[in-house]
Formats: sequence, structure tokens, C-alpha cells
Amino acid sequence: MLAAAGAVLIGAALLPLLFLVAELPATGRTALSILGTGRPWVLLLRSIVLAVPVVILSLATGTPLGLLLARTNLPLRRTLWGLHLFPLFLPPFVLALGWFHILGRTGLVGTETTARAFFGPAGVVGVLWLTFTPVCTSLVALSLLAVDASLEEAARLVATPIRVASRILVPSAAPAVLLSAILVFALTISELAVPMFLRVDVFPAAVFARLGGIDYAPGEAFALALPLVPLALCLLWLERRFVGPRSFAVAGLRGMAREPIALGPWRPFAAFAAWFLVLLALAPLLVLGVRAVRGGGLFELPRWLGQAPSNSLLSAGVAAAVIATLGFVLGHAAARRLRGATTLDALSMLAFVTPAPVLGVGLIAVWNRGWTQAIYGSIAILVVGFVARYTVVALRAVSSSVLQVPRDLEDAAATAGAGAVRRLKQIVLPLNARGVLAGWLLAFVFCLRDLETAVLFYPAGREPLTVRLFTLEANGRPPVVAALALAQVALTGAVLGAGLLAFRLRRVPA
Amino acid sequence: MRAAIELERVTIAVGTRRILEDVSLTLQTGELAAILGPSGSGKTTLLRAVLGFVPPTLGTVRIDGAVVSADGRILRPPEERGLAMVFQDLALWPHLTVAANLEFGLESRGLPRAVRHERIRAMLARVGLTERAGAFPSELSGGERQRVAIARALVLEPKAILLDEPLSNLDLPLRRELLALLEQLLAERRVPGLYVTHEVREAAALGERLVVLEGGRIVQQGTLDSIRAAPATPFVRAITQDLA
Repeated sequence: MLAAAGAVLIGAALLPLLFLVAELPATGRTALSILGTGRPWVLLLRSIVLAVPVVILSLATGTPLGLLLARTNLPLRRTLWGLHLFPLFLPPFVLALGWFHILGRTGLVGTETTARAFFGPAGVVGVLWLTFTPVCTSLVALSLLAVDASLEEAARLVATPIRVASRILVPSAAPAVLLSAILVFALTISELAVPMFLRVDVFPAAVFARLGGIDYAPGEAFALALPLVPLALCLLWLERRFVGPRSFAVAGLRGMAREPIALGPWRPFAAFAAWFLVLLALAPLLVLGVRAVRGGGLFELPRWLGQAPSNSLLSAGVAAAVIATLGFVLGHAAARRLRGATTLDALSMLAFVTPAPVLGVGLIAVWNRGWTQAIYGSIAILVVGFVARYTVVALRAVSSSVLQVPRDLEDAAATAGAGAVRRLKQIVLPLNARGVLAGWLLAFVFCLRDLETAVLFYPAGREPLTVRLFTLEANGRPPVVAALALAQVALTGAVLGAGLLAFRLRRVPA
Repeated sequence: MRAAIELERVTIAVGTRRILEDVSLTLQTGELAAILGPSGSGKTTLLRAVLGFVPPTLGTVRIDGAVVSADGRILRPPEERGLAMVFQDLALWPHLTVAANLEFGLESRGLPRAVRHERIRAMLARVGLTERAGAFPSELSGGERQRVAIARALVLEPKAILLDEPLSNLDLPLRRELLALLEQLLAERRVPGLYVTHEVREAAALGERLVVLEGGRIVQQGTLDSIRAAPATPFVRAITQDLA
């Protein structure tokens, strides 16, 4: 089973990267001429320079918030965490649209000055910071919840809660903080729609222009994607060197229930700061709602939606099912350190941290051929793209879950004569059903929010809702665009709601 | 003489389930008592109540004569009780070196750097780990980790030390060696201790007084000879027979 799952992942994620490298001789002259000019390097540098403050701000706010949510007596922690996470499951472009209706010239509090600041690098950084901070918050919080309770109790015997938090808990979460930095950097570098909307020229936009616009030149797109390959490898090296093995070591230890750290007189201030940050990130959604209703956008919505929601649900749903299956087999293998699993885990991470234009261009190189049109010309290409990019999400969810279950349970089944498939089906799957469900749900919403991968190769007439929204933004009436953005929010909310209901129904065996 | 640790009619309930029921126990200064009991008898919960991690639903916990928890409330937090603990899984902080693991608690007590370093040096020398001061827990052998955990507790010069089955994962020769070391260290410092175990031989080797817990209640306490002479329950009879 591991071999079959590995083959699917290699086909989806590694082949595009190999094909991209293989195209090098054919595009060598073009590559040299394009990369010989200063323009691509300026764009690449700008993309990196934009990503750095997004990472710093996300870590600066997400780390303390993760600590507050996981280990303190902050009021309504679960509600706060849920609300904080929601914007992460939306395309950042939706939030940028909302902020446009707040800070744009005709926005709620808009003036010339706010509009000038918003349409520029500050706006890009601000929107992406508020969207991606939950990555850091949640990884830190989950990491802190997984820290062995006795490590914390041993410190509580000799130190105040604040000192325990700063000297024991936060360092324990260091791998999670670094992983967040890598993921936020990768997501920011891949981001296409927000910088384009806010008129900031970045590297992914240059690649996109050569694949979908009037500058159509696929050879140049291949050339432009090349500098991003070493960047992706660099991110993967950082993840392997400083995060991968340590994150496995932390998770899985006994997470005994413990008393939350009392914030004392700081509790009201901490609550105010946390709620302010969370509501700030959600404010654009409220404004989008007002804009859609007042301008009559909601009434026109059915005419503009077309098949986009069903395309989104179909492609994301099928992809999530495939990803959850792969994630189950590969995640279990990675947690149990089976042969080859570490390499496949690294490959899935590489595909995620590889900037979306590279993966997109690679997928085009593999699948845009006469005999593969059944895939490339249909919704199947979206499924392949999503599987390539998001398998790591389910893989890591399952591996964390498997690490919580003693290996003895599987060994006992083996000594009772159960083969590998039977053990996976009858022991591992029931014991990790919630982990698999979490992987499926996360993969579903990540596929649903995807724009940057899908926009490069979506089949004609089968575009998902994110792409419809992105393409209509330039020419559509603002209330209609706002209504389409709300439809994306509603679709995400419905999928999350259904997934959480499934969670409630699926209780862990005692 | 004032008791180092005193539990007076302590009951701890979770929902309708009583984990400890009407437990009264006194540990005098310099005394070492071993708490014996089958799994689920409430041994670890008793230690956690003394440490201040769980409040007693009913009853009072005193340390050095001062009331630290009573009737559902923790009046003095764990870090202000002056106790030390050796955890079952040792709980060595993986990101700190051996010396830093020992220094963490001393720093919290505000000791000057020179004093801290001298105490760490002396303690590591005493447990034979001088050469391993800069190592991380993951670089140590099982026995070395055990010694670090004991040293980390004793370097604080606590009012009492609590040990939660600290040797349960070791092989017999290593367990004997560490038991002897522990006995020497506690005797040298005259630190009172509560030693939780389900191994009667270990309890007999270390504890002057044995306290047997069953179903959350103390069913018998006394010296090994007195308990063996008149076992109060079938469990006590079974475990003392093992020693014969």
C-alpha cells in the first residue's frame, strides 16, 4: 500500500518538478535571455522582501496568541480559536476585497491617504499578515497542547507561571514556530491575487501573465519558474533540518489534562488584545456582506455564479478524498518510520513549500499533451494539482494522530497474525479515524480556497469559484463581486460545518 | 515536632468518582515513607495533591505546619511550596542541558550565579555526572537520566521530596544501584520523602514506614514487620508474602 500511495504522490508532485528541469535544454536560450535581465530578479527580491514582514508579524502575534489559547484561562478560548482560524480557510483575495470596501477611496473609513497606503506593499503585508497568522497560532497552540504535562509540572514546582511559559513552554514550541515561519513564507511567496489586486508587481504575477494573459509565452514561464526551485529546496532543507524530526519527537507524549495558567490581573487585557486581533481579521467579511446587500449584488448572484460552486465542491471533494487516503497510508508510515516514508514525507512538504507557479508550470509541462487531454481538459487536472500541493496537510494530521497511539496495539495485531493491510484497516484506521477526518477536512478547505495553483491550468468552462471571483473582479460590479466573495465564504462555512458535525458524530473509542 | 507534610481527612473526587477518600497521613522531618498500592489506587493523585496540582475536594494539606490547600482551594501554588519531585517519566526538559536543568529551579529562587554554579557542581559531582554537565537529556543513558532527575530535585534543598515510581523503567541491577544512591543522598541531607511504588521490595528497601493505599483509602500503615505480621487485606497479604 505504501508503494502504491508513494507512486501516486510521485506522479502528482515529483513528475511536474522533474519535467520542469527536463524542459531546461529546450528553454535554455529563453531562460538565459530572460534571467539575464534585471527585471525577474527585482520581482523575486520584491516577493521575498514582502514575505519577510508577513512572517515576522505573524510570528510576533501568532506565538503569544497560541500560548494564550492553549494554556491560559483566557475566556471563551475555543470560540476565539475557531473564529481566528476561519480567515485562513478563505482565499486571501476575499479579505483583500473586504479591506478595499473599508480602506479604499470610497470605503467605510476610506480617504485618499488610506487608499494610497492600502494599494501598495503595506496593504499586501497587512492582508496577508491577518490571513496567515492563524497558521502560527494553531501550530504553536497544538504543539503546546502536546507538550508532556510532567515537563510543565516539573517547572511549576520551582517557577512562576510566566517563567514556565517563557522558559519551558515557548522553547518547547520552537519547532512549531519555525515550521510556521516556513509555511507563512511559502504561502506568501505563492500569493498571486492579493498583490495583483493591490497593484504590487511580484514574481508569481510575472509567471501568471505568461500563461494566461496577452503575454502568453509558456517557454518564458518555464524560465521564470526556475529561480523558485532552489528557493523551495532551501525551505525544504530548513524544514528537514530544524523541524521534521523534532516535531515528531514532541507530539505523541502523554498530554495529561492540566490546569490552565492563570493570567491574574492581565486577563482582561489579554482578552481584549486577542478579541481585537480576531475581530480585525473578520471585519472585512462583515463589510463585504453589507456591500453585497446594499448594492443588490446578492440578487444578481445566481446569474454570475454559474457552475463555479459545483466545480469547486467537486474538484475539492474528490481531491480531499484522494488526499485523505494518501495521507492515511503515508502519515502512518511516516509516524512509524517505515522504509521510504521519510522521503515521501519530504516530497509532500517540498510540493507544498514550492511556490505555486513552479508547481503549476510543471503540471502543465506534464499533462498538456495530446494523449492526456482527458485529464488536462477536465476537472481531473484540478484534482491532480490539489493532490500534489496539499497531500502534506493530511499526511501530517494523520502522523500526529498515529503518534498518540501506542505502537504495541499494532504489534499485538501482527503477533495475532494480521497482515499489513488488515492492521491498517482494522486497527490503525479505527483508532485514528478522527485524525484521518481532520486531514480530509483540512485538505477539503485548502483545495476550496486554492486560487494560485488552479488559476494556471483550470479547464475552460470548469473554473472553481475562486478563479471566477478573481477573473470577475476586474470588470464586475463591486456589489456582485462582494456577493461572489460571500458565496465563497458561505461555501467554506458549510463544508467546515459539515466536517465538524462529522467530528461530533465520530467519537473516539475509549 | 512540626510535620513536614500533613494530609488531614483528604478526599479528592472527580464527578461522582472518589479517587482519594478520607486520607490522613503525616510525614515527619527526616522520615521516608513508601506508599504502596495497586494501579489506580490513588498513589499519584495523592502526590499531586501534596504538590498543589489538584485541590482536595475536602480536607486539608499542610506543609511545615502551614495550610497550603483546603476544601477545594489551592492556597499556595506549587512553586511556593518548597517541594521537589522526581517524576515517573523523569520530565527532564529536553531543550536544556544537564546543568541548565539543575539551574532552572535555583534561578527561580533568586540565588546568585556563583552560588548556583557551586551547588550544581557539587551535586553533579555527588551523583557522578560532572563530565555530563553540558549534555542534553537525549544524549544520556537511562541511568544517567535518572541521576539527573534526582540531582535536579535535591539541588533545590527542598522541604520534602516526592518520588513517583522513579525507578520503574530500569533493569534490576541499575535499580539496585540507584536505590542505594538515593538512600545515601536522602540520609545525608535528612530530607523527608514520600516514595510511591507498586514494588514491595523497593518500598521495603527505602521506606521506614509503609503506607498501603487501596481504592483511594489507606488500608494499613506501619513497618514492614508489623504489616507482615497482621495484613489488613488480601492485597497486603499477597504483596508481603512475595517477600518471604
